Amino acid sequence: MTPPTTQAAPTGRKISIDPITRLEGHGKIEIFLDDRGDVSRAFMQVPELRGFEQFAKGRLAEDMPQITSRICGVCPTAHHMAATKALDDLYRVEPPPAGKAIRELVYNAFMAEDHALHFYFLGGPDFVVGPQAPAAERNILGVIAKVGTETGKTVIAMRRRLRELIAIAGGKVIHPVLGLPGGVAKPIKPEEQKQFQVLAADAVKFAQFTLQVFEDVVLKNPEYVKLITSDTFTHRTHYLGMVDEQDRPNFYDGKIKVVSPEGKEVARFAVQQYLDYVAEHVEPWSYMKFCYLKPVGWKGFTEGADSGIYAVAPLARLNVASGMATPLAQQAYEKMYATLGGKPVHHTLGNHWARVIELLYATERLQEIANDPVLVDKNVRTLPTATPKEGVGVVEAPRGTLIHHYQTDERGVITMANLIVATQGNAARMAMGVEKAAKGLISGKQVSDGLLNMVEMAFRAYDPCLGCATHSLLGEMPLEVTIRGPGGEVVQVVRRD
Amino acid sequence: MGAGEPAERVVVIGLGNPLLTDDAIGVRAAEILAERLAGNPAVDVVQSAWGGMRFVDLLAGYDRAIIVDAIEWRKGPPGTVYRLTPDEAIPTLRAVSYHDVSLGTALALGRTLDIPLPTETVFFAVEAAETRTFGEQLTPAVQAALPDLVRRVEAQLMQWKVLGVQTCTKPASHRT
Repeated sequence: MTPPTTQAAPTGRKISIDPITRLEGHGKIEIFLDDRGDVSRAFMQVPELRGFEQFAKGRLAEDMPQITSRICGVCPTAHHMAATKALDDLYRVEPPPAGKAIRELVYNAFMAEDHALHFYFLGGPDFVVGPQAPAAERNILGVIAKVGTETGKTVIAMRRRLRELIAIAGGKVIHPVLGLPGGVAKPIKPEEQKQFQVLAADAVKFAQFTLQVFEDVVLKNPEYVKLITSDTFTHRTHYLGMVDEQDRPNFYDGKIKVVSPEGKEVARFAVQQYLDYVAEHVEPWSYMKFCYLKPVGWKGFTEGADSGIYAVAPLARLNVASGMATPLAQQAYEKMYATLGGKPVHHTLGNHWARVIELLYATERLQEIANDPVLVDKNVRTLPTATPKEGVGVVEAPRGTLIHHYQTDERGVITMANLIVATQGNAARMAMGVEKAAKGLISGKQVSDGLLNMVEMAFRAYDPCLGCATHSLLGEMPLEVTIRGPGGEVVQVVRRD
Repeated sequence: MGAGEPAERVVVIGLGNPLLTDDAIGVRAAEILAERLAGNPAVDVVQSAWGGMRFVDLLAGYDRAIIVDAIEWRKGPPGTVYRLTPDEAIPTLRAVSYHDVSLGTALALGRTLDIPLPTETVFFAVEAAETRTFGEQLTPAVQAALPDLVRRVEAQLMQWKVLGVQTCTKPASHRT
């Protein structure tokens, strides 16, 4: 346990806050009021996993795809794939076309499944049911009541089928044994390919249906459109995401591209150069390291082109790109930007829309690969021969850019391991968002009822991968907001019961 | 006792992340129980890092369920074993995901969609000392709780009459 840290109070008095003992598995927000009872600062504290580098040292790099897939029960395939690509780099080896196709097939199935889960079960409840609906209805049951049980059954069945695809290709769904340096463990059989083709065609239809649900229920609800475009949920930051050679999002591979708040390209680099562009800033009140753009610099929790703060994940990925790589997704992309007033879109809730567009792209890409004859080619691996030393791998996880970086000795035993997880890219913007919501909803010591809702909605749009999210058991959004007076005394605690 | 299908089917789910120190307790318990219950046709033992909606798949088709997991409730010292029902909604329970729905909601949804779910689910949650640091060993107090945890799960299975009766030779299926 680290010792308590002190934080200077807005009025100059010192207040002790101890972030560590308070974390207890959920997000904590501490809001400090000034003498007038208005918000002076807000701190969002999130639990973070510790000791990974220590844990990784001395292990075989070749075990990392299996080990790191266990870091998170939500995104195992993302870690698995980032680790596998780091091994490609470590051993200087490229997969043959079939190996690459299998990896990308599995990866897009994973992205589709995860995005579908988020839309219907997490973000969906916020807007499919309606922002003014009572909290009791703003959950998946409310969504099903709106879209019908048939749709509900389709969603569950589709996600199960996508997970089955991952299991067939990789042996196990949640901890795939798929990735090896230079390729994958086994080829795809022709009868499996036929199965995947049927699944992919159904998945595209499912994604189109989901986009229609979004358009019917959200875009036709003026209350919701107002919320999406409201200033509370708007931040003008840089954006970062991976693009292919035609400047379109690719979840599996590409170069990392950064655009300014005005939409100008400010960087494009291979992940091996990430340390020149991405740095981590530490604050005393949080374990979470806040990523920022090194060439621009850390200027505090501020917006604009002079601040190094950036965002990742669906909206960022679409903001950095010039279009989508598949036709239906491209149409949807054009419609989104036409509706929201051009690029880049700075409205955080736009993430929900961008996520559905990405769902459509993932299923279309799945279909392209499933119909590619190379998928059943028997040559799925190039054997590595080089002596390992250093490797970096990147994928676009559902929640943003994920980087694995290893250094090894000549036997491939890890001497250094660093991970940049997706949410670190959004951490600074999330912190700003919480403070902005707090300032908008608390004045003269009065806390609006909507405070918790607004903060939660922002959270859900970012869909942060917090360390505690390995599995769920009981309870909904476990946010706790503590409001303190200028002396640090607790004025009010607001939490979701 | 004749050979044949058991009247009831029970699943024991050990939840946890084997890399995060005490978060592995459910998984460790499942490993022990899988061995001890091998050959019992009425009980399946599975390990999982999933929760929320993905739970619905794990629970589907069973009559009763036991879930074993770590918890940070602070009602007792590390190693305390609590027995809970789904109605005992515990906001301070550590195992909460921002990425998924609560189990209660997931179960309600499953029923809405006519997915056959257990009529009774019991949780055994173990107070954890450390779940946020990477490590493959349980802390001592939590490690010491394992035998009692296993015993309590088996006691529950006996109460449901799926353990302690003569079993047929058909091996139970193990899913991980």
